[in-house]
Amino acid sequence: MLKAENTLFTIVMLLYFASMILYFIFVAFKREKLAPAAQLVQAAGFALHTAALICRGVGAGRLPMTNQYEFATSFAWGLCLVSLIFIRRFRFPVLGAFSSPVMFLIIGYAAMQSKDVKELMPSLRSNWLGFHVSTAIIAYGAFGVSFVLALIFLARDRLTRGGFFDEHIPDREMLDMIGYRSVSLGMLFLSFTMLTGAIWAEQAWGSYWSWDPKETWSLVTWIVYAAYLHLRIRGGWRGRSAAVFAALGFVCVMFTYIGVNTFLPGIHSYA
Amino acid sequence: MRFAIGIIVVLAAVCAAGSFITQGQSFDWYAARYSERIAGLIIALGLDDIFHSPGFVVLSAFLCADLIFCNISRVKQLSARYRAEKDPARAFDGVPQVSASGIADPLQIFKKLGMGEPVKIEPSAGLLTSEEGSGSSANNERAGLSSTKKGLGLFASKNAAGLWGAWVCHLGILLLIAGFALGQFTKSEYTVYGVPGQTKPVGDSGYELSIDDFRIELSGSGSVSQYRSDIRVSPVGGGEGSPSGRPASISVNHPAKLYGMKFYQNSTGWAAKITITKNGELLQQDWLCAGEFVPVEDMPELVIYYNAFYSGPTLAPAGPETAAEDIETPAYLYTVYYMGQILGMNVLIGDEPLIIDDYVVTFTEPRPYTLIQVKKDSFTGLAFAGGIVTLLGLALAFYVQPSRVWAYEEEGSWTVCGSSPRGGRIFEESFLRAAEAAKGEAAQGCADREGREGEAVPSKSVSEREEDHAQG
Ligand code: HEM
Repeated sequence: MLKAENTLFTIVMLLYFASMILYFIFVAFKREKLAPAAQLVQAAGFALHTAALICRGVGAGRLPMTNQYEFATSFAWGLCLVSLIFIRRFRFPVLGAFSSPVMFLIIGYAAMQSKDVKELMPSLRSNWLGFHVSTAIIAYGAFGVSFVLALIFLARDRLTRGGFFDEHIPDREMLDMIGYRSVSLGMLFLSFTMLTGAIWAEQAWGSYWSWDPKETWSLVTWIVYAAYLHLRIRGGWRGRSAAVFAALGFVCVMFTYIGVNTFLPGIHSYA
Repeated sequence: MRFAIGIIVVLAAVCAAGSFITQGQSFDWYAARYSERIAGLIIALGLDDIFHSPGFVVLSAFLCADLIFCNISRVKQLSARYRAEKDPARAFDGVPQVSASGIADPLQIFKKLGMGEPVKIEPSAGLLTSEEGSGSSANNERAGLSSTKKGLGLFASKNAAGLWGAWVCHLGILLLIAGFALGQFTKSEYTVYGVPGQTKPVGDSGYELSIDDFRIELSGSGSVSQYRSDIRVSPVGGGEGSPSGRPASISVNHPAKLYGMKFYQNSTGWAAKITITKNGELLQQDWLCAGEFVPVEDMPELVIYYNAFYSGPTLAPAGPETAAEDIETPAYLYTVYYMGQILGMNVLIGDEPLIIDDYVVTFTEPRPYTLIQVKKDSFTGLAFAGGIVTLLGLALAFYVQPSRVWAYEEEGSWTVCGSSPRGGRIFEESFLRAAEAAKGEAAQGCADREGREGEAVPSKSVSEREEDHAQG
């Protein structure tokens, strides 16, 4: 099973790479016909990625969400899922052109991690692990998409001089709205992640909140997005500044994810 | 609202700072890590315990006060809006965000937008009139109908409850903070450790805990899969092995609740039997866990501290998974204190005796002890309830988006209007799509936005929403 996972993982990387190239040609050379092809390849990559995660789960005899490798590949999976949904829902293939490099970076990061299957330490042996991490994957995926949308928003005016982008990138108001939808999806799931994490910590460590760096940074992230939501409501902050805040939020997400494990050891630093 | 944003941004910054400065260390620790000046600053500003510092507490209090004020002051306005949102009699009150005219079958739009069955209303006289004859309703003007052309009207509203989302979310945050804060002030925590056979008091709780058994379960590959303790808890003075003792088996992730306290399997370490003889006669014998100390019975100024256990002779720390039988050469790091001064510190290997004048100290029979954490926090439930309410509020705010659709007939053709401030452009687009579908053939030629806008006009105004929020 783990061998199958390995093979699938390689194919998934290739497919994601291929879809990234197709998206790139689509926007750089304005080849409209390639947009559906890029989406199809991304969707195929997603399907095989799902299969790879299932193989890993079966092979390891548990949910594939417990170490850096597994979380990184799941993160890429979540980002792929949310971006596919947003591309389809808002008929917005240019989003794929911006999200596929981020996806590829994350799956590349996964490829660099150790793929060993290790036994779980007792505190990780809990049903809450599944709820906690799977909601985090969706939250991170949604925040990844909002980051990409923020970048598109900020680059929009420079991009839309030609007719191609005018046609393929929604106007500012719509972009802001789509970004808001992705932040709200992320915010809801991040809150889920924090709540399930707190319930689990209460069972495993006897304390639902202990200000460990990972917890603290997820709270910082949560507050940054709360600030985004309020600034956006105030009107004046719509648009450019809100986009800057959404991008900043994702920087916090990435710091919570990678930075904390690297620089700020605490009880969360497994793996 | 500006104040609120300011507070939460400062809170985020303080939290970030707290994660970078290792918490709960001493002046010397910070001085070694940074410099004496910075260490002094950290201690003086309370940055070593930032999450309990007065500044942090005051900030949180301001946040709560603001949330309370905000929520109380908005109740009236929100209920009024909630009622208005659902009230067919006020269907024509608002500015339509988007509208389409020349519709033959308006029900189709209601259906497409999932609005449910619309109610029939009699558009009353006295409504402001739209400009006569203008086929599509105007941008920022009130869409209505001429009082002289009274026709039939339709109205549907859905998801009005979503208006309460932010309010519920803020309430949840308040409960959460309240539960957390009350817990901080009232909770009690104890640590009990020992080897099977020992009975120890649970701090000053008035209860004692007997350890009946402690097992380290290994998985096939030899790594630890679970730590499990069988315990009994009884009120102090309930008598030796009193029948009132309540038994429980606890393991990591599976705490037990007894007498209102929660018992957690926390960790393990190595205990050893310490034997002290004086002039060849047994003076005392006790189990000591690594980190514990005993005063010598007939000379309490003399204290033996058992620092740590190693599986010698390489002095590698013994892992918890090592079985006691597998330890070939146990080694014990000890410190001897006399009247608070260190007399000596060294390692005893195996049964090697430590001789202090007339006293001989030996460590024997190393075995794992269990460390059990005991907690009593009556407000955990409140904090979790707050968390759940917050989540509910978020779900309401984001995914229960209020919208209203209303329609009126003018000379055989319908004008349909819609409003969903929160739905913004996304609502407008679905509305326009539904309108196009309802128009059927006629609309197919104008699929792009420009084409559409000529016929159905999304109002650019989002003023309704901004007005409401300006006051927060
Ligand atoms: C950590 C603190 C806070 C969080 C997580 C939070 C969360 C939220 C959320 C999720 C929304 C809905 C946003 C949307 O639908 O786009 C919201 C709206 C709002 N918040 Fe907060 N909030 C916080 C603190 C505050 C404070 C202290 C105030 C005090 C005045 C406040 C005032 C408002 C107002 C006026 C709205 C708009 C309400 C509406 O749309 O009906 N918030 N908040």
